[in-house]
Amino acid sequence: MIEYPMLIFGETIMIFGALGILRFPDVYTRLHAATKCDTGGAMTILIALAITTNAPALIKFKFLVLAFLIALVNPMVSHAIARGAYKYGIKPKVVVDMYAWDNP
Amino acid sequence: MVEENLLVGAVMILTFTSLLLTYRVLFGPTTPDRIVGVNTITTKVVVMLAIFAVIRGEYYLLDLSIVLLMVNSVGGLIFAKYLERGGAID
Repeated sequence: MIEYPMLIFGETIMIFGALGILRFPDVYTRLHAATKCDTGGAMTILIALAITTNAPALIKFKFLVLAFLIALVNPMVSHAIARGAYKYGIKPKVVVDMYAWDNP
Repeated sequence: MVEENLLVGAVMILTFTSLLLTYRVLFGPTTPDRIVGVNTITTKVVVMLAIFAVIRGEYYLLDLSIVLLMVNSVGGLIFAKYLERGGAID
């Protein structure tokens, strides 16, 4: 019975991530919203699907493999995009820029 | 069938959020904004394929979603390297 709250929770996280990407002012804050909300929402939905389906154990294991791969791949890609965007020449609209302290 | 209605509603919500993100892909001020939008849309499509596999009972769609996720990772890294070189193609 735990799968319905997990599904609704994941969908809510997805909606708030999309709103964050629409409304935030900067590339890095948009990336923050995209990565955290999207990874958490996708993993929650996939675990809820693995609970709710009536399939053999191999199929349920595939759902868990997919959740593990999302947790592995999605932060790596967003980290690479943030590094590339800084090297591309986009300065963040914040007061403290600690990456520029270490790499002048 | 409460369960199937809930899954179809989940697919509808994911489609709606993908349409919201299409605005960021089309009208993003800079190039990294568009890349962030494309990556997020692809992750949502992966989750939609998994939900379709449960609804229809056709579990080969799971293999398809795993392959799409790996292609998304390689594409994102290539876009990141493209940005890191300052947007030059050589």
